[in-house]
Amino acid sequence: MRGVKLHALLLALVMIGAGVASTVYQVAVLNIPLSESETDPVWVIDARVSYRASGNSPVKVQLFVPPPSERFLVLNESFISQNYGFNVSRAGTNRQVVWSSRRAQGEQTLYYRKTLSQRFAEKAVAETGPQFRPRPPLAEPERIAAESLLAPIRQHSADVETFISEAVRRVNNLSDDNVRLLLAGNESVSNRTRVVEMLLSVAHIPAEQVQTIRLLPSQNQSPEVWLRTYNGERWIYFNPVTGDRGLPEDRVVWWSGVAPVVDVEGGQNARVTFSVTSTEVSAIQLAQTSEPVRRSTLLSFSLYDLPVATQEVYRTMIMIPIGVLLILMLRNLVGMHTLGTFTPVLVALAFRETEVIWGIIMFTVITAIGLSLRSYLEHLRLQLLSRLSVVLTFVVILMAVISLLGHKLGVERGLAVALFPMVILTMVIERLSIMWEERGASDALKAAVGTLVAATFGHLLMTQPHLSYLCFTFPGILLVFVGIMLMMGHYRGYRLTELVRFRALAKKQER
Amino acid sequence: MLGRWLALRRRGVMGINERNGDYVLRYNRRHLYPLVDDKLLTKERAIRAGIQVPDLYASVESEHGINAFLRSLDQYHDFVIKPSQGAGGDGILVITDRFDHFYRTAGGRLLTEDDIKHHLSNTLSGMYSLGGHRDRAMVEYRVTPDSVFGAISYEGVPDIRIIVLCGYPVMAMLRLPTRQSQGKANLHQGAIGVGVDLATGITLEGTWHNQVIQRHPDTANRVAGVQLPDWNGFMEIAAGCYELTGLGYLGVDLVLDKDKGPLMLELNARPGLNIQIANDAGLGSRCAVVERHMEALAAAGETETPSKRISYCQQHFASDILPVSA
Repeated sequence: MRGVKLHALLLALVMIGAGVASTVYQVAVLNIPLSESETDPVWVIDARVSYRASGNSPVKVQLFVPPPSERFLVLNESFISQNYGFNVSRAGTNRQVVWSSRRAQGEQTLYYRKTLSQRFAEKAVAETGPQFRPRPPLAEPERIAAESLLAPIRQHSADVETFISEAVRRVNNLSDDNVRLLLAGNESVSNRTRVVEMLLSVAHIPAEQVQTIRLLPSQNQSPEVWLRTYNGERWIYFNPVTGDRGLPEDRVVWWSGVAPVVDVEGGQNARVTFSVTSTEVSAIQLAQTSEPVRRSTLLSFSLYDLPVATQEVYRTMIMIPIGVLLILMLRNLVGMHTLGTFTPVLVALAFRETEVIWGIIMFTVITAIGLSLRSYLEHLRLQLLSRLSVVLTFVVILMAVISLLGHKLGVERGLAVALFPMVILTMVIERLSIMWEERGASDALKAAVGTLVAATFGHLLMTQPHLSYLCFTFPGILLVFVGIMLMMGHYRGYRLTELVRFRALAKKQER
Repeated sequence: MLGRWLALRRRGVMGINERNGDYVLRYNRRHLYPLVDDKLLTKERAIRAGIQVPDLYASVESEHGINAFLRSLDQYHDFVIKPSQGAGGDGILVITDRFDHFYRTAGGRLLTEDDIKHHLSNTLSGMYSLGGHRDRAMVEYRVTPDSVFGAISYEGVPDIRIIVLCGYPVMAMLRLPTRQSQGKANLHQGAIGVGVDLATGITLEGTWHNQVIQRHPDTANRVAGVQLPDWNGFMEIAAGCYELTGLGYLGVDLVLDKDKGPLMLELNARPGLNIQIANDAGLGSRCAVVERHMEALAAAGETETPSKRISYCQQHFASDILPVSA
């Protein structure tokens, strides 16, 4: 016996452990939201290209677009144009779209739109970059200025990363004569970045400028310059003004290099404006609707993979164990009398279709009438089966009458009587009448009331939207329930009602 | 509430969860249940084992056998008709007398032969059986209760319930019908339970609806202090029922007939727990004592005869305070 108990306990703990582990994995690793109401911002970045076509020559518009990134999930990407063909290609670490048209006239506008989410980012293979760079040819005064700047930088740094940070800081010290010479009067951020990059290349450190867009709702954003270097494993980003390391979460790398974002052949006045907007989308909806997430096996093997109609069925079905667990508790811990274990759960399911108050009224009325009809039939001395059949037929007639009355009176609730509640009611009446005969009226009434109360609790619990979402999204919770049920199977303590029942025995002791 | 919990634990009071998990599930194999659920099977076994039971007059299992069945009863003037798998005493018809074509029931009602036939057909269709299965009907000797119960009983036949753990009788109770229980000896139908001292067969205090009582609610006589005659006869039958069925945790229901002495009426595989209130003692602690004793015996490789088991229980579970004889 002790061995069996230990076995059951171990099994229960394994079940609970597995359930908790799978849930934690889903939450922590797969990043699946714990609540249905959890929302995520979805960013929509529009790049609007406008230019004036010269009119009599073919047009080619080249626009840099963001390369794939492991930091974001691309939900959608579209190229919007009229009478243009387009082609997307890779150039080094960059990605660009080429719109082309044989003939275009006047003011032209092209759109590129990208929709991003920061949740469910894909684990893409990072691009590699160069680790060595030849020294560029420099004029004599510049070379000397660069060398004299580099000497203290080299002294104050330990490795490539600190070297870059130090270089950025030095260059941003505008009072330095050498810096002023290199900047040649232009103190803009882009020029300072160019100087930093040049310094680094003199020291054979490969670094490149990247243009980024900030995920901040804005109308006319200009790309921000960052520096980055490849350390053999990954790219390291530096702020070209402060020298701080690391790219903030909300920056999207648009393209790298110093080339302008747009290049138009056969047109003039090319301009690009970036606008960023955000919308809140429920995280789980995001996960469900976005094709890439589904493909990326995050949610495959989950119930969300099923067709929607089947999902709805399982949303209900997966709550049944919760109802059963509740009934188990009510019976074994509280000591409540119900008609069997599963009848209350089924009645609770029937309440889904009728709603609680109406369900209780209907349950009571129909069961009462069914039972009184049954006791009347007793006088006719019918055999068991034919008597039960008559009762069941009358239950159907009764429900039809209620539906008809409800409809005539304009109470549409009366129509909620579906096949499912009818089958359950029929079953309840049958069981109740058997109990009535076997154990008497008071026991049958006790069980009927207990069933109603348990079913009401069960219904309230099973229709909890948050709970339903949790169970459906994290089916591992069901294993936890199995564990609890296993442990309940070895519960040997008193039921609450027994404390009342045996009060005489306890009192004697106290005397 | 917690204090009461602890008090009950200290007294070794057995709860339903404990009974179901530690005793019924552990000692009673499911496939043996039909032996106790079907009274005809129980009776056949008992007769073969030489255990005293009320005589079986006849049994019937199909509608067309009813007429022949009734004819075979012509020689008897009083008898009891029972469903073989009935529960809670339902469907039991006690015939005390008959004249012309009428049967008189214990309650004084007159029934015609058609009434009896209808009752039999209801019984066969499963109206009184657990779960409404088809059933058999049986007719047996009508027990006349011993006069010792005259003062503390109201109608019906009092019976004695003894809880037996693996052949060790651990607790006993006398069940007395009341007006409310309509002559039935089931506690939850309103009968009263009176504890019985295992060693002497003298009755203790009573329980009625989970309360402790001293007097029978209908006759107002004290229930305690009545000496049951032939007490060891009861104990021997009870102890022998373990070998009879193989069920380790058993409630044995016995009656005391004024002519035939103790008779075994039926067996119950999940006996109720109110016997503890009647005896003012915990079943759990008594069962634990027996289990320890059995373990010790098993370790020593010994087994005990029923009479040894009885004397072990009488030695250990004797009541400390015996009431003064009424």
